[in-house]
Amino acid sequence: MSRFLLVVPPLTGHINPLVAVAAELTARGHEVEWCGYADRIRDAAGSAAVIHECVLPGTGELTRPPTLTGPAAFRFLWDDFFIPLAEAMAPAVASAVRTFRPDAVVTDQHAVAGALVCERLGVPYFTSASTSAELVDPLADLPKVAAWLTGRLNALREAIGDPAATHDPRFSPYGVLAFTSRELVGDMAAPDAERVHLVGPAMAERPEVPDFPWEALDPSRELVLVSLGTANADAGTRFLREAAGALDLLADRVQGVVVDPGGRLTDPPPGILVRPYVPQLELLGRARAVVGHGGHNTVCEALWHGLPLVLAPIRDDQPIVARQVAAAGAGIRVRFGRVDAPKLAEALRTVLDDTGGHRTAAAAIGRSLRVAGGRRAAADHLEQLVTAHPVASAGR
Amino acid sequence: MTTETTATLALDEDTALAQIAATLRALPDAGLEDAEIGRETLFHDDLELESIDLVSLAGLLREHYGERVNLALFIADLELDEIIALTVGRLADYVAASLRATEES
Repeated sequence: MSRFLLVVPPLTGHINPLVAVAAELTARGHEVEWCGYADRIRDAAGSAAVIHECVLPGTGELTRPPTLTGPAAFRFLWDDFFIPLAEAMAPAVASAVRTFRPDAVVTDQHAVAGALVCERLGVPYFTSASTSAELVDPLADLPKVAAWLTGRLNALREAIGDPAATHDPRFSPYGVLAFTSRELVGDMAAPDAERVHLVGPAMAERPEVPDFPWEALDPSRELVLVSLGTANADAGTRFLREAAGALDLLADRVQGVVVDPGGRLTDPPPGILVRPYVPQLELLGRARAVVGHGGHNTVCEALWHGLPLVLAPIRDDQPIVARQVAAAGAGIRVRFGRVDAPKLAEALRTVLDDTGGHRTAAAAIGRSLRVAGGRRAAADHLEQLVTAHPVASAGR
Repeated sequence: MTTETTATLALDEDTALAQIAATLRALPDAGLEDAEIGRETLFHDDLELESIDLVSLAGLLREHYGERVNLALFIADLELDEIIALTVGRLADYVAASLRATEES
């Protein structure tokens, strides 16, 4: 039996895969504790989770105006969120390591404090990649931007890590758990690619399944799910309206379900189901296609079910994920801020047309995600990490 | 395949701007068919294009002008703040200057 500490940022999409891994480790008799922002972890992992609480800057939430996208969003994400987050989390990570004495740590790639404190204290750790985007060296064509980020990470390392270390803290020298698959990523350019374990999505049981009017689904039409995830309610008003318009244009053959947590879609066209929350996995089991923003979790869940996608990325890793889906032939990328109802309808018609091959490509990626092993493969790798690097815990 | 014969002469910034704007409007799936594109148009905030689109644009301009316009090299030399503030006019100036430089050499 071993002890594992999971270090996460206050971002639900980053926590969810580790919730599944935590459940698997616990089922195998291991002890699991968390370090991060307690409210966000409990929302995802349940009230029984043992948490080493971090006091986070501000509200602990990532809030950005909808117009902040592209490279400006990238600068904000690091300068105003991940870096201060790491500074704030470092003391709690160190304290969690000293009191819980984990045999190994799993730290999200963007909870950089986890990696830096582990390297300083000599604890074996995996970094966890909750998106496929960091594995393809997204800044390869922008060396000065890459250098900017390296400079930020080096300064952070001086403050809370081991200044003698030289590797990118997002890629642990012990290994990376990447919750995606080779078929989706394409060619990897990650440092130490042989240490990146592509385990596919790790899906946790979702404790609360929202109500859904199943009787309102029309079996004679193709079901299309439109969702921009949980974090983009304020950015999505225009897009959701155009999406509803597109569904209306295709109403003779398509029935749309639109997820609208922000209640932005007032007065939708008749025949379209608009719900603040949906039982997503159950719906995906009956859907024929998905329209989304390119969030890695929803993309993987759609592909898992063999569904082709129309993706309108907003920012961050989403354009890269959307490009990977398009490159794999499993979907079409449209422009979030510019696409209108007719163009969106055309894209949907294209992916729904099985002669175009999008469904075949999606099904192929889906198979690769299913065989990647998920939570069990992740737990296997973690057990091997502990076996290979036994910790002299008395020293800490 | 390059089409060097169509653009062997040096050209001024305005012509370069018009050619870049036409190339951007023709970018597949960019949704810019009817976009207004001028010197001050911001590549990211106004056109909602991403760094990957810069790379695509570099490839298209290379097809159009040949080896003399290496936009990828220009992009690689940009700092983060310069990328955030990148205008179509700045790209046009770079294209025009590159063509002038090879003309003189």
